[in-house]
This record gives sequence, structure tokens and C-alpha cells, in this order.
Amino acid sequence: MLLVLSEEHKEHLAFLTKVDAAVVGEFGRIALEFLRRGISPKVYDGAARKLSVPVETVRHGVEALMYLVTQSSKHTLSEVDFVDSVLSLEFGDELNQSLLQLYLQHRSEIRGILSLVPSSMPAYHNLEWRLDVQLASRSLRRQAAPTLTTRLHLTHGHGSGTEVRGRVLRVDLGSLLHLISILEGALGALKSTHARRILRNIK
Amino acid sequence: MRFRFCGDLDCPDWVLAEISTLAKISSVKMKLLCAQVLKGLLGEGIDYDKVTKLTADAKFDSGDIKASVAVLSFILSSAAKHDVDSESLSSELQQLGLPKEHTMGLCKSYEDKHSAVQEKLRETSLRLGRLEAVSWRVDYTLSSSEMKEVNEAVVQLKLQAQGAESGTSESTLVSLSADKFRVLLSELKQAQTMMNALR
Repeated sequence: MLLVLSEEHKEHLAFLTKVDAAVVGEFGRIALEFLRRGISPKVYDGAARKLSVPVETVRHGVEALMYLVTQSSKHTLSEVDFVDSVLSLEFGDELNQSLLQLYLQHRSEIRGILSLVPSSMPAYHNLEWRLDVQLASRSLRRQAAPTLTTRLHLTHGHGSGTEVRGRVLRVDLGSLLHLISILEGALGALKSTHARRILRNIK
Repeated sequence: MRFRFCGDLDCPDWVLAEISTLAKISSVKMKLLCAQVLKGLLGEGIDYDKVTKLTADAKFDSGDIKASVAVLSFILSSAAKHDVDSESLSSELQQLGLPKEHTMGLCKSYEDKHSAVQEKLRETSLRLGRLEAVSWRVDYTLSSSEMKEVNEAVVQLKLQAQGAESGTSESTLVSLSADKFRVLLSELKQAQTMMNALR
């Protein structure tokens, strides 16, 4: 597939033709750093001063570059598609090649960053359990009541903000058997013809 | 195929795959590697420099090292968990394709340390609100703002325990009158008699 770049996007990227290759490389590095850590406006000021252009131009150039690279990574454009999409900008071969290199080198890293963005539900991490039998209590002696005490560890958040929290749950025998049968039913649903048909088509 | 050391379930595929990795190092080095893994299971920490030196001859990369430590941890802890004796473990591992000398080395190390590993696993089992410390003192109240002459003994108990949900140390302060304390003590003694009867 080809990326269709809007007129505004093309204008912003046009700034890159007016500077030499080293600066384009530098902009690429800044764009990736911003994708990793977040935008820091001071860098724009420094770059603008060095190149003697208004800060807005620098900001648009870097942001346009970030957008180009993230959109390409999002759709995992092949080399050919990327070069074709960039051709519409009429940049010239050298610039096209350096943009292509930037994209190819960092594509999987950017996809990794993009996958962290949607908020995640708590995910299963670990389940500790113990089986106890209550023999007596203050009010009633001579019992035999089995219970399962579990601590369910769930991970909340994603990337660097992941934390593991534990929840204590006590399960009696009837609930445990019900839980087991429900979960086995869920596993069995994977083997139904309907699920198999869908999985075959996804692969 | 059901294996006792896997808890009468099938052996996981990754264990089958990594057993062939283990066969690449010599059986002497394998026994030393087992010793390191057992140290890790007992909480003393694995010396990764030693492990790297042991696996250097077979040219293990870091992935292979991690895999062999993982498979040995799994085999040893799982065998201890299901209380498998070392002859059964030896025959099952040979069925899975681990060469005889390696199996013998592994089972010897397992036999030496298996009760220690079981003890450690018992300690780390789930327990909610472990009691850490108890401190007490007995006071004698002479008088108060309500009554001029009180003359009563009071027991103050401080229980230091791990919170059931949070797992961090929490302390609870309780003060009891002499009668309440006597009731508490007799109930706890009855519970202790019941616990002793179980042994």
C-alpha cells in the first residue's frame, strides 16, 4: 500500500530539502528520541538557532518526520512502498535513501513503542494456592471443611510502568469444581469447528 | 506420555527440546551445573560466572545458558514438588533422552539435596498474614478520671504480622483485662492441644 501524504505534511517535509544530509540525519535522530522519550521543545530552539530558521519550521519538520516514520511502521510498508510514497515529495534520490534507511533501521523499535500505547487490562501473572482443611474453630470442634486459599498475581500497566499486585481469594470446594469446569469449557471452545475455521483464516 | 516428575502430566515441549541442549555438555560439568542450580533453588543465588565457564567448552550462547538453567530448575523443583524418588526420576529422564551419565549425575545431586529443597518449598508456600513477633507487658491501673480506685491488671499485646493482602509488616496493639486474657489463653491452649494431636 502507499501512504498518501497531505499537502500540509508535504509542505512541512519540504524543509528537509533545504538542508544538507547531515542535518537530515540529525533530525531523524531527534525524531526517534522524541518517539522514545517524549518531545522536549528546547531541542527545537537549539536547532533553529544553529540553522537560522524560525522555530516553527524546525518543529514542523521534525514532527512531519515522526509522523512519516510512525505511519510507515504502523502499516509495515515494504521498501518499495516507502520509496514510492516518498517519491511524491520530489526529494531527490539521496534524501529518499536516507529516509528509507531511517525507516528500516528503526521500524521494529517504533512498532514496539506503538504497541505500548493502548491501555491494557490487568493480565494474569501467577496463581499461588494452598489447600487447607479446617478441623476445628472456637465455636465448633470436629469439622472437616476443605478450602483453597489462592493469591492471584496480576500485572497492571505496561512497559516501564508495570506493577504486580496480588489479590487473595478463598475458594470452597463447590466453587472450585465449577471454576474448573468453566475454564475447561473455555479451552474446549478453542477446538470447536467454528474457532478452528477462524484461526485457519487468520494464519 | 505421563511423567511422575511432571505431576502425572505430559512433559512440556520446551523441556524435551532443552534436554538435548543439556546433552551437549560433559556429564561432569552437568553435575557442577546442577549444584549451582540447586544453590539457586535454595535461595543462595547462582554464580553466573561459574556457569558461563562451565558451559564455555560447549560454546553455549546466552540463550542456551538461560535455557539449561531453566530446564534444570524445572526438573529439580518439579521432582521435589511431587516427591519423586531418584530411581523413578532417573528412569523418566532416560526415557526423555538424557544420556545415562548425565542422568546419574543429576539424580545424585537431587538425592543429596532433595529434602532441603522440599523444606525451602514448604517455607515459601502461600501463607497469609504470617505472625512475626509478639511482645507484651502487664500494667496495673491504679486510678483513672472515671473512678478513683481502679486497681486492675491490664495486659497489652503487640502483634507484628504481615498484612494478609499487602504482605507488608503491620503491627496491631491490643489491650485486655485479666478475665478476657484468661479466656484467650485457654482457647489458644485448646487449639494448641488439637495441633499437637495431629502430629
